[in-house]
Amino acid sequence: MSRLVCPFCGARELAEFHFHKTLPAPGASEYAAVYERGNPLDDSLEYWQHAQGCGAWLEVRRNPSSGDVTAIRLLGGGRP
Amino acid sequence: MSAPPRTGRRVNGEPLRFRFDGREYLAQRGDTAASALLAHGVRLLGRSVKYRRPRGLLALGPEEPNALLTVGTTPTVIPNVPASQLVLREGMVLRSQNRWPSLRFDVAALLQAGGGFFGAGFYYKTFMWPSWRSYETLIRNLAGLGQAPGAADLAMPSVEHLSCDVLVGGAGPAGLAAALAAARAGARVVVCEREPVIGGELEFEVGSVDGRSAPEWLKAARTELLERGARLLLDTTVIGGSDGLLICHAAPGGLAGRDGIYRIRPRRFVIALGAIERPIAFVDNDRPGVMLLGAAERLLARYGVAAGSAPLLFGNHDRLYAAALRLLTAGIRVRGVIDTRERATVTARAPVERARLELERAGVLCLFGHAVVSVAGARGVRSARVAPIRAPGKSRALDCDCVLVSGGWTPSVHAGLHEGGAREFTEASAAFIAGHQPEWRLCAGAANGRLELGAVIADGFSAGERAAREAGATQGSGSAPAASADGGPNLEPFWRTAAPAGAEKRQFVDLQNDVTVADLRQALAEGFIDIEHVKRYTTLGVGTEQGRTASVLGAAILAELKGEALSAVGASRTRPPYHPLTLGAIAGHRAGQQLRVCRRTPLHEWHEAHGGVLEPAGYWMRTRYYRANGADAYSAGIAEAARVRAHGGVVDGSTLGKIEVAGRDAARYLDRMYLTKASTIKAGRSKYMVNLREDGMVLDDGIVLRLAADRFLATTSSGHAEHMLAHFEHYRDVEFSGADVALANATEAWAVVVTAGPRSRDALRAVLGADWHAPLARLTHMDFVEGRHNGRVLRVLRASFSGELAFELHCRPDGAVALWQALVDAGLPPYGLEALDILRVEKGYLVGSELNGQTTPADLGMDGLLKLGNPCIGRALLGRPAFGEPTRPKLVGLRAVDGRSVIQGGAQVTVAAAPTRSLGHVTSSVFSPAFGEWIALALVARDAAEQGEILVARSPLHNADVAVRVTAPVHFDAGADRMKS
Repeated sequence: MSRLVCPFCGARELAEFHFHKTLPAPGASEYAAVYERGNPLDDSLEYWQHAQGCGAWLEVRRNPSSGDVTAIRLLGGGRP
Repeated sequence: MSAPPRTGRRVNGEPLRFRFDGREYLAQRGDTAASALLAHGVRLLGRSVKYRRPRGLLALGPEEPNALLTVGTTPTVIPNVPASQLVLREGMVLRSQNRWPSLRFDVAALLQAGGGFFGAGFYYKTFMWPSWRSYETLIRNLAGLGQAPGAADLAMPSVEHLSCDVLVGGAGPAGLAAALAAARAGARVVVCEREPVIGGELEFEVGSVDGRSAPEWLKAARTELLERGARLLLDTTVIGGSDGLLICHAAPGGLAGRDGIYRIRPRRFVIALGAIERPIAFVDNDRPGVMLLGAAERLLARYGVAAGSAPLLFGNHDRLYAAALRLLTAGIRVRGVIDTRERATVTARAPVERARLELERAGVLCLFGHAVVSVAGARGVRSARVAPIRAPGKSRALDCDCVLVSGGWTPSVHAGLHEGGAREFTEASAAFIAGHQPEWRLCAGAANGRLELGAVIADGFSAGERAAREAGATQGSGSAPAASADGGPNLEPFWRTAAPAGAEKRQFVDLQNDVTVADLRQALAEGFIDIEHVKRYTTLGVGTEQGRTASVLGAAILAELKGEALSAVGASRTRPPYHPLTLGAIAGHRAGQQLRVCRRTPLHEWHEAHGGVLEPAGYWMRTRYYRANGADAYSAGIAEAARVRAHGGVVDGSTLGKIEVAGRDAARYLDRMYLTKASTIKAGRSKYMVNLREDGMVLDDGIVLRLAADRFLATTSSGHAEHMLAHFEHYRDVEFSGADVALANATEAWAVVVTAGPRSRDALRAVLGADWHAPLARLTHMDFVEGRHNGRVLRVLRASFSGELAFELHCRPDGAVALWQALVDAGLPPYGLEALDILRVEKGYLVGSELNGQTTPADLGMDGLLKLGNPCIGRALLGRPAFGEPTRPKLVGLRAVDGRSVIQGGAQVTVAAAPTRSLGHVTSSVFSPAFGEWIALALVARDAAEQGEILVARSPLHNADVAVRVTAPVHFDAGADRMKS
């Protein structure tokens, strides 16, 4: 996983992206959402921003063990 | 000194001069330091790092453990360049390493002369009393490889990004076959070759490919590759890479020349990096003159330099005989060929036996089942002792001036050992190859354990074909080039000769780190069993050499000592980079001014022209003070701040972050983003607002202006605009997805000129003219008004960061200088950041260090804002019980009890009775011209922060304990009468 596919810009170097955080489990309390983030081995839902590119915020689903990215969704409902 | 005449493919006869250890030598263009010095008969090229033993050249590549040189003169030196990778340039200055005072005479070597070798762990066991640290400096001076440069690298190396279908590492027979197969299939191919020429072993081994001689085939292969659009990167080494990205180091002028980095992203990567010859351990096998056979052959073929005039060949495979014949043909009087294998093994193969008989006819001594047990000659081999393996005691001496040793080949798999790759042992070639690989990597040729030319080429070709197909190429590659079969080396593993126990400490396994057989035995005896532990305890395979010649040899000897199979012992990992490179090469252009963004305000040139001292503040260059006001920031800042309070001044506020927020849902959205509501701000008004992080800590503060019902301008701290914009966009996209909120960074769309001081209104009236008199008169604190000045948009906000009557003028950047100059001319002199900070601390305004990510609004005295109960981001977690505890910090003011002492910024706040228990710290401190003494802001535990309390501000760094009195954070004009005047 040294690249992410930005919906606007295509496959780009990881260095262009900024990792924000791992998403809390659905229904987590506000406390848990901030302090009790999981560190799942095989499936992680994360927020990333294409900070050095178009600035789009992305929801990235990936496998932290293998580095495989399984899904990338554009946040905010815009269309590429 | 003149150079002896010689012929070699790489040298062209054109003379050049260089210096080595203070002496001048003549070389030919194309020479490396290794070839030129050996041509002059200089064999002593360095000393070993630990025992300071004299060392010469062992290998002809980055695997060279000892002949590491320092290039250049202090302070701009490049240390640890292998002599064979150092292409000479006119006037180059080289130095040997690890010696003092000179290479031939070394003091530290004398210390070793008594035979008291330091075994593994010696330093840590010996220098224990009173503590290791008392010896550390002395020992560190003796240790280490070379001298670190004392100045920045002046060259600015390039970085080039490439992408391709198939990247082939190595342009030997396997790599070329792979590249040809991939290119024929229609793939876009890039080939990286460490050497300045293609061919690998074909450079000196005789063979034929596709019915042509090796040189002819190489020429044809190169032509075809270029015609098919492949890119050949010579002098370029794959130094590491993962995740599908390969980092390659290009050093077209040798390792100490101008260099650069290629970042190559292929769909498939074929590792065809060949194999590295390994030595055999015998007593004193580190003496100058003991050299790898392949290195000697390459030295002769490329540079026309003989490793010695009477070589003895020693090894365990068939290739010794062909090599001996080639040396003989070149006119070198080969003394003998010592083969560890039995007679029956050698004579069984007709071509080998024919070569052997030819050697014997020429008077070359050929011994079977024999081994070199030791050599004599401290600064260069004078003779070797040879004995039957079955009867090591029956040795005899043979005169020779070098021993060319070959114990087999270790596949170069460094590029295949990361990201899940691991070494795997193959019995066939007694070698470790890269095991399971991720799908984007393939191994081929010698790197894959193949040693016979035909098999190497076939393996390379099929790897190239597969790589191209997997990368999406659709054409056929045709059939692989057919090579004349040389039958392979027929190698029988042999790692070291028998030695009496006392001599094992002179059987060197790792020449770079002085690891001997005795060290391995000792490590084992002390319980270091795993190869990785042995590596770390003995330093086997560390350093620039990274175990290329040593690690498998060490593992094999360890296996022998443990009585285990080599496959069970395994070999230690290596780490990138593959060869030493300068930090400058890694940094590339990202140095100096290009290290990061540098922003200048529209007034930058004005500040420079008027004595402004500009310093980086985040991404911005800001004026700290003006030279006319004092000799340094301290005195000028005080003078400028005093003048603002007495008369007035202007300060450049253009760096203020500005984010425009527009849309039907903007107000509702901003309510969520800030601690207090934005929706209650009336158009034309503004409000000081605070953002919280999710965990309730204060993130940033600024003034929010409501430009219209659906349009706001949110200001952020200088340098935080990008971060805050990302934060704003994130919540807009996550929580307000689909809402009508548009965000834009307007930071650089507006220049900001701030006027402050009692005279600022008069100056403003004079500058802006009669049209503005009425609007200015109507402006109350936190109002703003928009209009035109000189035909341009101008926004005037009445807000204050100094506690004085103050106006923020937002204007277009191209009008900033004229406006600024007019205000200066109207009697408002400029002031800088230093004065601004003084004015802020006097007023108890947050300077920046209070927003340290650990302070809540309550900690910072914003209880009033909290009470409004706006459900903003971070609000929920502010209710945690710990935030109400009496030990939470509280923002307070501090004044020295004696009214004179300096309160140091960063000082710890304590009570006198418990001087080591910190109750908080001083966040900002300044000398206040308004009070004529030091004042400070501090974060102090609530229960100790009652006003009037006497505490101690301790700064052990300044050896200062100052009794301080707790005050309100607002030191100056608590009623804010001046600001509202």
